[in-house]
Amino acid sequence: MRSALQDDTGPIGIFLVVAVALVAALIVRGNLSFDLILFSLLQYFATIGPVALGLGLTMIAREFDLSVGSTMGFAGCVAVLTSGDNALISASCGIGAGLVVGLFQGLAIAGLGLSSIAVSLGGLMTVAGLSYVVTHNETISFANQAVTIQMNAPLLAIFSVRSLLAIACFVIAAVVFVRTRIGANLIATGSDRTAATTSGVKTGRVVVCVFMLSGALAALSGVLLTFGLSVASPAGLTDILVPAISAAIIGGVSLSGGRGSPVGIAFGTLTLCALSAGLNALGLSPVVQQIVMAGVLFAVAIAAAPRLYRFHHWQALRVRNGNLQKTDEWI
Amino acid sequence: MKILSGVIRPSEGTIAIDGKLVAFRSPIEAQRAGLALVAQELSLAPDLSIHDNLWLGHASAPMRRQTGVTAQKARSALVSVGLDHLDLGTKVRTLGIAERQLLEIARGLVRNASLLILDEPTATLSDNEISRVFGAVRTLKARGCSVIFITHRMGEVYQLCDTVTVLRNGRVIATEPVAAMPRETLLELMLGRKLTDIYPRHSTQPGDQILTVRGLTVPGVVHDISLEAHAGQILGVVGQIGSGAIETVRALAGLAHAATGEVWIGGVPLRLGSAPAAAASGVRFVSEDRGEEGIFLDQPASINLLATRLAEVASRGFLRPASLRKTAAALAAQVGFDTRRLDTPASTLSGGNQQKLAVGRCANRDMAGVILMNEPTRGVDMGARAEIYQMLRRFCDEGNAIVLASTDIEEVIGLVDRVVTLYRGRIVGTHQHPGIVETTVLAEITRAEAAL
Repeated sequence: MRSALQDDTGPIGIFLVVAVALVAALIVRGNLSFDLILFSLLQYFATIGPVALGLGLTMIAREFDLSVGSTMGFAGCVAVLTSGDNALISASCGIGAGLVVGLFQGLAIAGLGLSSIAVSLGGLMTVAGLSYVVTHNETISFANQAVTIQMNAPLLAIFSVRSLLAIACFVIAAVVFVRTRIGANLIATGSDRTAATTSGVKTGRVVVCVFMLSGALAALSGVLLTFGLSVASPAGLTDILVPAISAAIIGGVSLSGGRGSPVGIAFGTLTLCALSAGLNALGLSPVVQQIVMAGVLFAVAIAAAPRLYRFHHWQALRVRNGNLQKTDEWI
Repeated sequence: MKILSGVIRPSEGTIAIDGKLVAFRSPIEAQRAGLALVAQELSLAPDLSIHDNLWLGHASAPMRRQTGVTAQKARSALVSVGLDHLDLGTKVRTLGIAERQLLEIARGLVRNASLLILDEPTATLSDNEISRVFGAVRTLKARGCSVIFITHRMGEVYQLCDTVTVLRNGRVIATEPVAAMPRETLLELMLGRKLTDIYPRHSTQPGDQILTVRGLTVPGVVHDISLEAHAGQILGVVGQIGSGAIETVRALAGLAHAATGEVWIGGVPLRLGSAPAAAASGVRFVSEDRGEEGIFLDQPASINLLATRLAEVASRGFLRPASLRKTAAALAAQVGFDTRRLDTPASTLSGGNQQKLAVGRCANRDMAGVILMNEPTRGVDMGARAEIYQMLRRFCDEGNAIVLASTDIEEVIGLVDRVVTLYRGRIVGTHQHPGIVETTVLAEITRAEAAL
């Protein structure tokens, strides 16, 4: 675990800074309950987290799953339509729908060698259309009130079923990623696809699996959100895409593939949630909130810029060479 | 070699390992049969640790990423290739090219390969690093592992190999024990003609001074270099990897942002750090990294030949296909490229043919200028080498000056008219043909290594 956490110091550091700022903001405001804020923060985390995790894993494999927003909405609709006495069955149907969406996209990308941006953009529109078809263009409501209440009930003051499930996803993903060959194969696929293939990694299979995982995670988040809200709308949740990508990037996932980890993505998502909770507590308008979020994203992007590293490297080199020259003269 | 390792399937013929016929459909199957390939394009994932790379794609690795057993096996493989100073958790991104090459060999060891195929493992290495690779290969040999060592360098055959097989144009020309094959015979078999033909005559009379460089410096790499190049002459800049020879040429091509110093082309000052400015003043550059910077792999040969002169085959901004075809065919004939293959994508051509395309861009320009080249014949077979050498001499006769950096000393001595030797970014000596002596040049570029 040591080396894995070493890579995640950036996202953890950013999160700590934002968390301290959040606490400071709450103390300044004074009159708000910590438990309530943390609860709503984690509820937001439960919505974005799994989506960001799936999307981030495709980014580590140097692909992009843009379809997560509509997959999430579609899975919610499917879950409501199949709902009966047993909520587990309808949840499985919703998640199954996400797996199928991911499977088709993965096969198109790996099998036909298509660009994942084109395929998942097509997926985004197709799946959004499907949601309208299955719901006959109407908002549908989830009848099982007991489940809705269960979803939103606080556990241990700040958690809920939703947020605990999201956290469980991250823990499982982190352990599999760090401890098994699957993680190594995923990084290799994103780091240098040709090299990975030549060394014997089945990169096609890796891509299909990571897209199925992304579909399933988005679906899980969609199903749980629908259960919690007790309604599903075909209009979907396409505006989840931007926060999910932001969370992955803040979490240290590189757009050029090969870098990032579930732990990093978790902290990236937490950063985003804490930021939004803090800005809400300060009572800032949504417009200002967006600008602040954009600012944070820019700061992260600049901090990870390759030119900046090159500059650092060059400075270090200059110092080292200065020493070399001295020893030369001395000899 | 790609067929042997399962990347490409053969259309005909059979392969037998230990007397058993095999047909590989994927790299994994080749691996199971005990084959390990170390390709020129290394197959390491830069974002993974040394340990994970050694086990990457292993046919029967455990599901757990790192266990005591895997770590121990990885460590002993590192020891046998002489990389025992490295930590298993180090990211491969931070390693140098020689260390990566040795790591590839170590991966073969982890896989218990009985046959290791090395494709030009020394093409990008310095002498010191080459001896480390040789050491690793000898260790493998002593363990009873067979090695196929593919190389264009004559010396390596005699230093390392027991049996030599000569291939030319896709056919086996000869297979002999190395001891029974004199150097001259081997060269002639590789070339398919008499040895004397490979290098063209040297220039006797330098023309006008076209390129003047004073105090060229790239921070950390090149220090205070001054040199001149004359029309009709080939100037060699020689040094080991890291000596700044390659970087000097790149800086002249405008590819080093931090470069300072004064450079004149035909008496006109050149702004450094800008490739378009260099190109506009008559500087042509042929990169050492053909795949990344030299040619467009997805484009057909004709477009590659014309890439730097599209204006010549266009009118009012539109390309004229007829004129494009005609000019490309004329250029191809000049550089000895098969005109029937002008429509084939560059990625399917051999290294030699690709390099002809890159060099061919410099042919037939209206304005004589400076042609800069790094490693002009890296990964190029002997036949195409000779053609490229002839081509360079012809460019000189047309009034161009050529500056080239190469780590192949034999080539430098055979080809250039004047040579500048570099060590740690500084000029050590300058020699004029016919006074260029191999031992002197070698001593100068390895100077401090002998002194330390």
